[in-house]
Amino acid sequence: MSSSPSIPADPRAAAPSRLHETLNVLGVYVLVIALFGIGCLISDEFLTRNNLMNTLQAVTLLGIVSIGVAFITYSRHYVDLSIPGIMSLAGIVAVSALPYGFAASLAAGLGAGLAIGLINGWVIGHLRLNPIIWTLAMMSVLSGVIRKAYAGAQVYPDQATPAGAAFLDLYHAKLAGVVPLPLAILIVLAIAGCFVMRWTGFGARLKLTGSSYEVARMTGVNVQRTIMAAFVLSALTSAIAGILLTSFNKVGASYIGKGYDFAAITAVVIGGMTLAGGRGHIVGMLGGVMVIALMNNIMGLVRIEEMSLSGHVILRNFTFSEFHKAIVQGVVFILVVGLNSYSRRKSGLDDA
Amino acid sequence: MPDARHDNPAPQTQHPPRRVDSGQGRHGGQAGEILALAYRYRVYLLAAAIFAVMGAIAPNFATVGNGAAVLKAAATNLLAAAGFTIVMISGQLDLSVGSAMTLGGMMAIGLQPQLGVAGSFVAALLAGLVLGLINGLLVAKARINSFIVTLGTMIVVQNAVFIYCGGGTIPAATFDVQDVLQRPLVAGLTLQILIPFILAALLAVVLRRTPIGHGFYLLGGNPQTAWYSGLAVNRYVIGAFALSGMLSTLGGAVVAMSEANANPTLGDSSLMTIVAAVIIGGTSMQGGKGSLMGTAVALVALAALVNGLSCRGEGYEVQLMAGGLVLASIILYDAYALHRREKTRGQRKDLLKELRE
Repeated sequence: MSSSPSIPADPRAAAPSRLHETLNVLGVYVLVIALFGIGCLISDEFLTRNNLMNTLQAVTLLGIVSIGVAFITYSRHYVDLSIPGIMSLAGIVAVSALPYGFAASLAAGLGAGLAIGLINGWVIGHLRLNPIIWTLAMMSVLSGVIRKAYAGAQVYPDQATPAGAAFLDLYHAKLAGVVPLPLAILIVLAIAGCFVMRWTGFGARLKLTGSSYEVARMTGVNVQRTIMAAFVLSALTSAIAGILLTSFNKVGASYIGKGYDFAAITAVVIGGMTLAGGRGHIVGMLGGVMVIALMNNIMGLVRIEEMSLSGHVILRNFTFSEFHKAIVQGVVFILVVGLNSYSRRKSGLDDA
Repeated sequence: MPDARHDNPAPQTQHPPRRVDSGQGRHGGQAGEILALAYRYRVYLLAAAIFAVMGAIAPNFATVGNGAAVLKAAATNLLAAAGFTIVMISGQLDLSVGSAMTLGGMMAIGLQPQLGVAGSFVAALLAGLVLGLINGLLVAKARINSFIVTLGTMIVVQNAVFIYCGGGTIPAATFDVQDVLQRPLVAGLTLQILIPFILAALLAVVLRRTPIGHGFYLLGGNPQTAWYSGLAVNRYVIGAFALSGMLSTLGGAVVAMSEANANPTLGDSSLMTIVAAVIIGGTSMQGGKGSLMGTAVALVALAALVNGLSCRGEGYEVQLMAGGLVLASIILYDAYALHRREKTRGQRKDLLKELRE
């Protein structure tokens, strides 16, 4: 027995164990497996090849966008609301640059996205502007610019030219004949993102900046450049996803990418990254993306022929439309963030 | 400030802190004072500039009928913007105002066959109250970031309204209300314009002149101090959101009733306009500062900008761009002023230069 008076342990003082951290990251996969089980129970269609491919498609694009968003959330700047604008801009610019060749088109699309990311990053990083307000304004400007420049019309890649055909094939291309190109991009980006966030100096600086801006600044971290880099990375992944989505839809238009901002931040939060910054893992975040994709997929399969409550029929031939799915997503979003911040508060990790 | 101490390790006696140019221009003599005044009244200057430019370049802009049209466009968003201002003064954010407007319009028109005109109007207000209370409780009691809460409720409400109306426009059951709201009373002003402006003026008085109004400023300025000084902090947060929800549905209901139909995209473009107007009107994103007067003037200025552009035959996309650009330039200017102030506060430039070498 120790003779010294026992001091109640401050939970913040004890570093979370390795195991605890791993469980935290992998916890979301329990949800993924549970959803998978529910899917199998609910509908015979769930385990078909077609349906699983659909889910995978939903995972890849959202996953690519979410990897970039994860960096912004990690740096405590919530989300980039101009993501739909960046996606449609990248797609539309890539399509209109097709006459100059396939490579030029990709470069132009990515460049356009990067340019927006640089502007966002400079303004938010250097001028310390509220990221939500600024990116909201940027979204409005972008959608205005796109509608003005293309007169509200859509641009179609020309299938007759080799570059146009290559662009349309982009989404459906398969590496080595098996792995779809978008999935390969997602895997590469995820591994790279994971590496950068965990094992590089930039990742460490980002974590410090996200945990405490003032401390990071006083420690000599170039916070401005760090935040800027996070926004540039997010714009880059959005541009990639935008080009792929444009290739999939076979059309460049101002509405492409709509809803991806909200879906991405939901995925990031479900995946265990807190909005308080500096916590989370790309692997967990990918679990969050899967949860969203599975949720949407299962809701699409649900058919309620008749549901009655105390004798009254309240639902007949009910299926989830896009709108119902969005409502469920919104509620889940608030719930997850609420539970997350509640548990962090209870365990003394956050005092807010 | 802690960082000032960090940046300036030298004894204060040797180098008394210099007053740096902060945009307030205290040391600039008369020119500085004029600049400070211009900064303070910039929203009025902006409005004057927009009116002058549009009057010069847009045909038919400077007519009485068009003036009423500008006020009508401003009145559309005024009530929701007033709610947004109050929430922002309290240091929070309410992104659900636009969808709350749609909700208000939809309930005020869609429920008319069941509840009658008055009943559906009250139902719309109650819906706003409930939405605001949900927002407020989630922010104050569950302590979830208001950006998250209202982003979530925005999506939920938007889609619920779409499901309710099936994506189409619902016509009003009766046109009596439209006649009343659209009848010009004085100088082309209709009740549709007067109701929001008068209500906003009343709210402005409450905000400026009563202890309740001052509570919102106190809360937004520093929640901790507000709590220490005995303010019922949670009640004020919930109150701000409830007010915002109710004002938004009221605004939406007034618009829908004067148009005699409810459109599921009624409030879609409102959020951007409202955020722009509130910030241009001088309400601080950190809370504790701002005025409804500024919001109203900024809304009129933005409405004039859009109206002038459409007088010149420019389409929706240019209006979208213009709103975003005006907001972007105003916040950029503010941020730049703040950035300069932060950079030079308590700094010894010569010492920094030495350190760099």
